Amino acid sequence: MKLIDKLTLWIVGVVFLVTPLSMVISYRSIKDNVRQAEIARLKDVNDKVAMQIKAGQPPHQYMLDRPIEIKVVKSMPAQTTHTSNYNFYNTELKREECKLDVISYYSINNKVYSIYTYNYVTRGADILHGMIQALFWKMLLISILVAISARIISRYLLLPFANALKIIQNFSLRQKEKIELTKTNTEEFKQLNFFLKKMTDIALEDYGRVKEFSENASHEVQTPLAVIRTKLELLTETDIRENQAVLIDDMHNAVEKLVKINRSLLLLTKLDNYEFETNESVKFCTITREALHSFENWIQMKNLSITQKIDKEVHLNIHPVLAEILVTNLVSNAIRYNLEDGQIDIKLTKNALTIKNTGLAPEIEPELLFRRFKKSNQSADSIGLGLSIVRQICNVNKFKVCYTYADNLHILKVKFTDEQPGINKPEPANVFKFEENVALA
Amino acid sequence: MKVLALEDNKELAKSIHDFLSMAGYVCEMAETIAEAKEKLLSFSYDCILLDIMLPDGNGLDVLRFIKAEKISSGVLIISAKEALDDKIEGLEEGADDYLTKPFHLSELHARIRAIYRRKSLDGNNDKLVTFNEISLNTDTFEAFINNNLLDITRKEFDLLMYFMVNKNRVLSRQAIAAHLWGDYTDNLANLDFVYQHVKNLRKKISLVNGTDYIDTVYGLGYRFKSNTPEA
Repeated sequence: MKLIDKLTLWIVGVVFLVTPLSMVISYRSIKDNVRQAEIARLKDVNDKVAMQIKAGQPPHQYMLDRPIEIKVVKSMPAQTTHTSNYNFYNTELKREECKLDVISYYSINNKVYSIYTYNYVTRGADILHGMIQALFWKMLLISILVAISARIISRYLLLPFANALKIIQNFSLRQKEKIELTKTNTEEFKQLNFFLKKMTDIALEDYGRVKEFSENASHEVQTPLAVIRTKLELLTETDIRENQAVLIDDMHNAVEKLVKINRSLLLLTKLDNYEFETNESVKFCTITREALHSFENWIQMKNLSITQKIDKEVHLNIHPVLAEILVTNLVSNAIRYNLEDGQIDIKLTKNALTIKNTGLAPEIEPELLFRRFKKSNQSADSIGLGLSIVRQICNVNKFKVCYTYADNLHILKVKFTDEQPGINKPEPANVFKFEENVALA
Repeated sequence: MKVLALEDNKELAKSIHDFLSMAGYVCEMAETIAEAKEKLLSFSYDCILLDIMLPDGNGLDVLRFIKAEKISSGVLIISAKEALDDKIEGLEEGADDYLTKPFHLSELHARIRAIYRRKSLDGNNDKLVTFNEISLNTDTFEAFINNNLLDITRKEFDLLMYFMVNKNRVLSRQAIAAHLWGDYTDNLANLDFVYQHVKNLRKKISLVNGTDYIDTVYGLGYRFKSNTPEA
């Protein structure tokens, strides 16, 4: 629920609560005033009649066709004016009426006269009825006006907030740009903007520092590695014995491994930092085909048979470099951990990439292999970061990846979207086998 | 060919210098941007090797300087930074290629040759790289031996090219693997295919009666043997 809707509801709620209360107060005050005015009028009439009596004139017998009763009473009561107000059913008019009686006492010429007059006044129920009618319209009008004006005013009042939201939504650490928030004189928004600005500035600074650190670290490692590697290369150009050559080769391999670990860790850091955001879409089918193509020789060497079913026009929103690394890692794993004369089954649809391959049963839970440096076979000629990179690429691109082992097959599935069953119609599988020593261009 | 290497690490600079000198190049060194600028104004070079992170600033400044001074040398960026945006920035600023540390010297050499080919020679002949009876067309990726078309794959073409650029050098299997499959393959097993590729290439060359110049160097790798030293 929007803030403004909540505020509107509260205001309307308060209005609903207060208006009947205020109505009761007004009702009482109106009724009272009406009565007091009528009493005063009747008292004036009584006074006049008393004056007439005092002057010895014949007093009026009627007031507005209503008889005036003049009596002589024994003594003067403590209160010189009695009033009473009551409802009764008027049989003549056949309706409820409200009557107001006023009796005044005068002492004229040593006699005490009571003069009684009455009149009909507006009944409380009538006043109440009118007021309730008015109440309905009043509340309707207030509610509508509150709802409309709240919307109009909120647009103006909440503008700094809306702007801040928009800026924060578009904020990305990668852009390395500090945010500029619109100025406001609302205290709360001032505080919010101040906080947002401070927070994003710190985040930018920290991000910059982390990035700088990882880049510096990689720089510091890569240069000595480059020195070792180039010196080894120069060493091979000198006159060396066979046993020395073997030593150099071992060193080459170790350097190679270091370089790959360093690169892979750096790539993982970059993935963590979301440095590969992209808006372009790539043809994933082409990348998959090219990756397969680049491994032809390896597939050939292990004499693997491949079943591939690659749909056309599979466009995905992913950085091209990542797409390539993703497919390359998956396919090379399927080859590396395969058996001689084994099988690979690759299926690409708009929704998922599934790679199944034969191989030794995993020694550990397949899902654990996504962890860094976890290898099913520790002696394998990989550095053990391939699947971590796969998972990280999937995370960054909001793909889902799962690894299962069933029916003697390793199954790796990358889901691009939440798959809807029955959408992909099966296509005839295209089976071919690479024959040894046949060059494939 | 004359090369200027701007690299602040002395050992690495010396490696580059030694290797390129062995290949018959004139290789001059600079450790700072100021020194590089001075040399660039006084002498002309065919190729400039440029490190990005330098003690007195960013190597990209030199790139801008080269552009401003209208110096026609080819530029190869050598950097430990492989952040994608740096790579793109370098190429946008006019660099011809980008090589990430740690590189193989033979790879560096191959890149320098490629830049040199693209930069300095404009005629049609330049797409051909020849050695004795072997000629390679870098445009169509076709290889000929005595004008007979050699039936080789793209990877085999790249391999042959790599050998021909680095004649008489020992190419380690690691360097060949990195050249053929790039930086991002988590494939130490690639070393086996290097063997397979070299074997296939040699077989194909001998099928058309070409001379087998490729030698296996025990424990280290391979060498493309030519009796004539490279100019």
